[in-house]
Amino acid sequence: MPTPSYDLVIIGSGPAGSTTARFAARQGLKVLLVDKRQELGAPIQCSGAVSRHALEEVGVTPDAEFIHEPIYGFGIYNEKGDRTVIDYRRLKADEYGPGEGQKPLGYVVDRRRFDRYLMTQAERAGTEVWLKTEGLSYRPNGDGGCEVFLRRFNQDITVKARVLVGADGLQSQVGKWAGLRTHIKITELASCLQFIVDQVETEGLLEIITGHEWAPGGYAWVFPKGHGYAEIGLGVIPTMTDKNAQWHLDRFIRHSFFEERFKNSRILEIQGGGVPLASPLRTQYADNLILVGDAARHVNPITGGGIHTALSGGNIAGNFLADFLNQDKPPTAQNLEGYQNRWLEELGNKMWKLYDVKTEIFRKNDIRERDALLYQTMASYFSPHSEFKKI
Amino acid sequence: MPKKDPVIFFIGWNACINCGACVAICPQDAGFISPFDTIAVDRPCDIACLLCEDICPVSTITHKPA
Repeated sequence: MPTPSYDLVIIGSGPAGSTTARFAARQGLKVLLVDKRQELGAPIQCSGAVSRHALEEVGVTPDAEFIHEPIYGFGIYNEKGDRTVIDYRRLKADEYGPGEGQKPLGYVVDRRRFDRYLMTQAERAGTEVWLKTEGLSYRPNGDGGCEVFLRRFNQDITVKARVLVGADGLQSQVGKWAGLRTHIKITELASCLQFIVDQVETEGLLEIITGHEWAPGGYAWVFPKGHGYAEIGLGVIPTMTDKNAQWHLDRFIRHSFFEERFKNSRILEIQGGGVPLASPLRTQYADNLILVGDAARHVNPITGGGIHTALSGGNIAGNFLADFLNQDKPPTAQNLEGYQNRWLEELGNKMWKLYDVKTEIFRKNDIRERDALLYQTMASYFSPHSEFKKI
Repeated sequence: MPKKDPVIFFIGWNACINCGACVAICPQDAGFISPFDTIAVDRPCDIACLLCEDICPVSTITHKPA
């Protein structure tokens, strides 16, 4: 059998991989999207908050198939429980709300359904999708292409690609194959745990609780999850505490100013993961290879949010690769640097700025000073006047 | 820095939530993974930085000398 040949092979069908696939396939590239899982989105490592703007920007129509609950604003708390509310239903009442002619600010999505939806859109645009298919390695073969070694339902398969796209998440192996410096510092990876719970009231706001007391190095959150459920979670930086995320979450639920609010909570699901509060990767390309999404560390270093940045990065990557390969340019590292430059211009430079803001906060040794600065930064970050509100 | 003695990791699968944080922090080369989205448990780790134990949200990774 001749080796199957594609313009792009994309490893990982999360929001970044499937969005790259959709835009590339739409412009005529032959795309293979593979994922080792049997069910996309799972195990869930994410709270699922995404702005409406982020979906619209990449042509994704908010659909009941994947939306848990609409969001209308934010509640930012300091360590004592004082809060700043930024409710767009009040700030811009004619525009935001649940009524006719009004719209939500964003959504909490079900990552299983959301990732499957995005994969379906990629497939409908012409992408070939293989599930239960793991990427093993790749080898540039000198003629402008590379070979990608895959295993699908226990069968070893080699395919050819002009460009391999690593969209394999924070645990990315693809970046390591290419020898890129993907290593993240322990001081910049938050250890996160969240419970989906019943019997906790929410009010259409993403609630963010700051303070070293509750989440050293990170923050805690309470998000509405639809059907009367909520999501309670937090992320901590391991070097700033000698306890694990589970201990901090238990303490936050049972002994914080929300003790009363959480007292009847019942756990329905347990999820967790590492969330980078770090800079983007300095080099996101190599010969015949680029990285997108969490694999390229396209994650907001202040909020830890990664869906918007994955979707935008996928849009940039898919369109760049289509323009590039349709002109028959050789996909050398030197040429693929153009992808990273375009990404920096459209998104990355702002993320670097956010990283500087974040670093400045956590450089403060005095806990009270640091707490005050984090609270203030979070509150202004989500305000309608923030220069970063579209990240 | 003195070279550390290699270790073998042990994962308490009962508490593991398959979140992959251990793999995300791991400085090993590609492929030091298990089929369950964790660091490898079937061969020694010669770096022994133990960052995977620190990042685990449920502290379910331990080790013994290899």
